[in-house]
Amino acid sequence: MQKILLTIDKISTFAGQASSWLIVSLTLLITYEVFSRYVLRVTHPDAFDAMLMMYGTLFMMAGAYTLAKNAHVRGDVLYRFFPPRVQAGLDLTLYFLFFLPGVVAFCWAGYEYAGESWAIRELSSITSEGLPIYPFKTIIPIAGVFILMQGIVEIIRCVQCLKQGKWPSREVDVEEVDVDELKEMVHVTDKDIEKLDEVITHKKESNK
Amino acid sequence: MKKEAWFGLAMMALVVILVFIVMPPPSQITTGHLGLLMLAMIVLAIMLGFPTAFTLMGMGTMFTWFAYRSVNPETAVKQTLDLMVQRGYAVMNNDVLVAVPLFVFMGYLVQRANLIEKLFTSLHLVTSRIPGSLAVATIVTCAIFATATGIIGAVVTLMGLLAFPAMLKAGYGIKLSAGAITAGGTLGILIPPSVLLILYGATAGVSVVQLYAGAFFPGIMLAALYIGYVIVLAKLKPDVAPPLSEEEKRVDLPAFAEILSRVRSKNVMAGLIGAIKGKRNAEIPMRTLLKQLGIALLPVIMVSLLMGSIYLSLTAPEGEVPEGVVPMGIGHELPAEETRAEEFGGLQEPEEARKEEPHAPGAIAETKEEPSEAKGITPGGRKPAPGGYWIALGISVLGLAFFYIFFNFVRLELFKMLLASFFPLAILILGVLGTIILGLATPGEAAAMGSFGGLVLAAAYGQINFKMVKESVFLTAKTSAMVCWLFVGSSMFAAAFALLGGQEIINGWVKSLDLTPIQFMILAQVIIFLLGWPLEWTEIIVIFMPIFIPLLAHFQIDPLFFGLLVALNLQTAFLSPPVAMAAFYLKGVAPPHVTLNQIFMGMMPFMAIQVFAIFLLYVFPQIGLWLPSLIYK
Repeated sequence: MQKILLTIDKISTFAGQASSWLIVSLTLLITYEVFSRYVLRVTHPDAFDAMLMMYGTLFMMAGAYTLAKNAHVRGDVLYRFFPPRVQAGLDLTLYFLFFLPGVVAFCWAGYEYAGESWAIRELSSITSEGLPIYPFKTIIPIAGVFILMQGIVEIIRCVQCLKQGKWPSREVDVEEVDVDELKEMVHVTDKDIEKLDEVITHKKESNK
Repeated sequence: MKKEAWFGLAMMALVVILVFIVMPPPSQITTGHLGLLMLAMIVLAIMLGFPTAFTLMGMGTMFTWFAYRSVNPETAVKQTLDLMVQRGYAVMNNDVLVAVPLFVFMGYLVQRANLIEKLFTSLHLVTSRIPGSLAVATIVTCAIFATATGIIGAVVTLMGLLAFPAMLKAGYGIKLSAGAITAGGTLGILIPPSVLLILYGATAGVSVVQLYAGAFFPGIMLAALYIGYVIVLAKLKPDVAPPLSEEEKRVDLPAFAEILSRVRSKNVMAGLIGAIKGKRNAEIPMRTLLKQLGIALLPVIMVSLLMGSIYLSLTAPEGEVPEGVVPMGIGHELPAEETRAEEFGGLQEPEEARKEEPHAPGAIAETKEEPSEAKGITPGGRKPAPGGYWIALGISVLGLAFFYIFFNFVRLELFKMLLASFFPLAILILGVLGTIILGLATPGEAAAMGSFGGLVLAAAYGQINFKMVKESVFLTAKTSAMVCWLFVGSSMFAAAFALLGGQEIINGWVKSLDLTPIQFMILAQVIIFLLGWPLEWTEIIVIFMPIFIPLLAHFQIDPLFFGLLVALNLQTAFLSPPVAMAAFYLKGVAPPHVTLNQIFMGMMPFMAIQVFAIFLLYVFPQIGLWLPSLIYK
């Protein structure tokens, strides 16, 4: 079981990470477009569409990846003080109550929406003869299915947690605030912090 | 259970009680009341800790279906699905939100360029004579770094590792040190380019460009208030912020500077030129002298380039200078000018700083006035420059003269340190901002160039490698997905809320209260302040702003102005216990004997300053609205 869960994690992560490289091409595309506009005096009308498509694909496909790494924002006023079993119970209920109806509907709606667009081979209306947008609209159901799959994995995780009383492990990923890495960046070690502690306690004593 | 959890439960109970008070008996419930119920439920559901994006999505779907079903049960499903996917696609196609991943990417790159240590050391030496210098340097470092990166957690953690020990060892009070770091770190969400303002712009339909122009001075004002508080406190109570010892203030001079200031003159220009011309320079190689002279001359070169290009664009004959090229030049020069103004301040000549500052924006005004003045001038000939230009030129020349009179070798060393840490970041920030505010590029375009600048910066500091870029890319994807999926969810939620007619009930209710605009404003700010306790700023912006915005027209409040107040207000959300994120990041790297309560206590005065800043902005709206009105008249 754990193997299947981790495999789906890996698939979501791979899809998300693969599309996350779009940020680099987005940066380069726009930088070049601005350069071209002001220096070469050439503009590419399709660049605007391309920009939106890269951005849209980037964040839609990263949705499941973000879910796999438990990085979607959640209100943690209460949540982080709950024991794991309560957390899992709440999550499980709300996955059924909110997540499944919302995401299933979104997938289904996206599937029809993209289908209509494919049927007429829809082109972007920003420029005449714009880029085809039916592949872009197809991203909606695809991203939806990835999220749904990942959501089911998370549901199973909740059940496991309810059984075992602790959250099953996830694969590690790069974190926004990785304290150890930041410590290394500015060359501070735990020993330095301990020494600092002495400074404070010493000062308190001398004040007394 | 911990008391923080009790606090959360109390908040939830409060919401439930409110629901019971507001709701009419079941027989009179309309769909509009369902909308209100939905609003209360979303607050409860968010507090339960389920990922907010999906809570919004699920609830939005269900209530949309409910609203359509009450009209026509047969087409309800189809209509619901259509609406959902359209809302989702609109977010994918949103040309304002494009800037989110790009700014986030820029932030991660700049953070990994690892300038913060250099920045803090150099600023701390530059400010060493000011009372409370370490805390001042901390706030300035935080402000610049948080502005460039926008990642509050990382800034507070890094400063907790760098500045906190430095301040404690120098004998600073724990509370003051903690307050300076946490308050400084949160400035990043206010000072543009910030993601908060993009989200507000996308939600409220206000131009991000104007928001950026508007938030610039309030952000600077808040930072200045923090610094002012620290300086006054250090003067009044030297025991919480003792002055640095001579040893700590000392700047080691390189050999050549040591010799020159002994043999020639302490002044850089006199010393260097004397040594180049004179005969007794055998000990110092000519190359060193010329190189130092080049660095020393940078300010004057920058100012001449800037003033020269402004002169050219002001006097340009109509139609000759192609549009775009010259403004682009200005966009790049402007930062240099503004950073120069700050640099004067850094070198303890505040008189100049004050003189210099007003003229940089003035320069923008002049260039913008160009078209109107261009009328009636025969094509081909150069126009005379307006009087304001010559005044500005005079002030800059005077400023430069003062600068060089007081420019000794110690200051040359400081200048070089700033050149390697402060100026690259300042130029990056002001370059991105300048191009946006002057209308040369959309926020998205400027953000992309900023990311490119971040790559260049990281490369210049030898920090670029595949691992670093990869990590930044992945983090960018996760953060953007988090923000944009939240937006997808909230736009579905907002659709349901509008369909049910919840908005009308709220509108009607607020109008029936018969508030004056001031009362409404205070009420709105208090509500947002209270929401800042249990919720994150992203949630407040995307869920609650759509409710406030339609009311603004009724009270004739400018949504731009409201946005600035909200942005200032949400700063407090990071500092209000017991959920203040900034405090927990600092606690994570603080020595064990620093308690969370001490950190909270340290944040209190800074929170009071934030409230004072909101008050100031409210009484003098021109602080925020002056720059946008100047540029976009």
